[in-house]
Amino acid sequence: MPDRNTYVPGHAFGAKVLKDGEKWTLTLVRELRHTPERVWEALTDPAHLREWAPFEADGSLGSTGNTVKLSTVGAPGGHVTETRVTRADAPKVLVYSWGDHDLRWELEAVDGGTRLTLWTNIGNRFIAMGAAGWHICFDVLDGLLKGVPMGRIVGPEAMKFGWDRLHREYANEFGIEVPNRPPWLSQKL
Amino acid sequence: MKIKLISIYVDDQEKAAQFYTDTVGFKKKADFSQGPFRWLTVASPEEPDGTELQLALNNSPEAKAYQEAQFQQNRPAAMFFSDDVQADYERMKERGAQFTMPPTDVTASKIAILNDTCGNLIQITQLKQWQG
Repeated sequence: MPDRNTYVPGHAFGAKVLKDGEKWTLTLVRELRHTPERVWEALTDPAHLREWAPFEADGSLGSTGNTVKLSTVGAPGGHVTETRVTRADAPKVLVYSWGDHDLRWELEAVDGGTRLTLWTNIGNRFIAMGAAGWHICFDVLDGLLKGVPMGRIVGPEAMKFGWDRLHREYANEFGIEVPNRPPWLSQKL
Repeated sequence: MKIKLISIYVDDQEKAAQFYTDTVGFKKKADFSQGPFRWLTVASPEEPDGTELQLALNNSPEAKAYQEAQFQQNRPAAMFFSDDVQADYERMKERGAQFTMPPTDVTASKIAILNDTCGNLIQITQLKQWQG
């Protein structure tokens, strides 16, 4: 397991796009070698989320009806949205929204580990960005569960860790054009 | 130190992107998202590496209140400089822009003000040239 100094993401994998007219949903699947209970904790507890997720949560996402403020990490000027957990069936199904994105997580016990599936709706133009971002987040989550926390890699920080290459791979896979590069990509990191 | 970016609030980023490119004639410079957050900027084709205008979503009550107050006081959210206000006015008007002030002579400049349809007034300014 690499640490933060040696981490390089692998190639695009485990992602699908469900196209229903203009409504596109990104599906990401990742097999983790830990029990659904452990994974559930990492998905819902703010202290765990802080180690890998692209947002800060000011409360637990683990109970249906909880109202939680999510702050997008790395957004210049700050970006905060409030969410209400619409479904939390531990350790199986978790549903809440992140701004105008719905997130649905499913955890399935397989061979002593967990098959984690995320469904999220993202604007068509940004779906490859989302896939690349979550890919890196899941790598960090995997390390965290294995006891090798790398620290969160999100927002502009992800640019230093091969996000751009992953983004292009997913865009290619989904058959979409890569939009303009953000300004900090053209600068030396 | 340089001024490379200014920010305005808009009530709809998709609509704003369209307005500032199709109607105003700027070019999209950056369009990047992290979850529900979207970093969107445009720049003038006359100065592609010049100052960028960030079109930020007014997604908090504070941002909305600030934007509305500016608008109600007829205060432009941004000011662009033009070499020919009359020509830019006619070009944008043809593309459907609503001007709240047609080209008007004021002290040291000629200005026009338009509504960006995303909650802002924008002033176009042409400085008067003096003969020495």
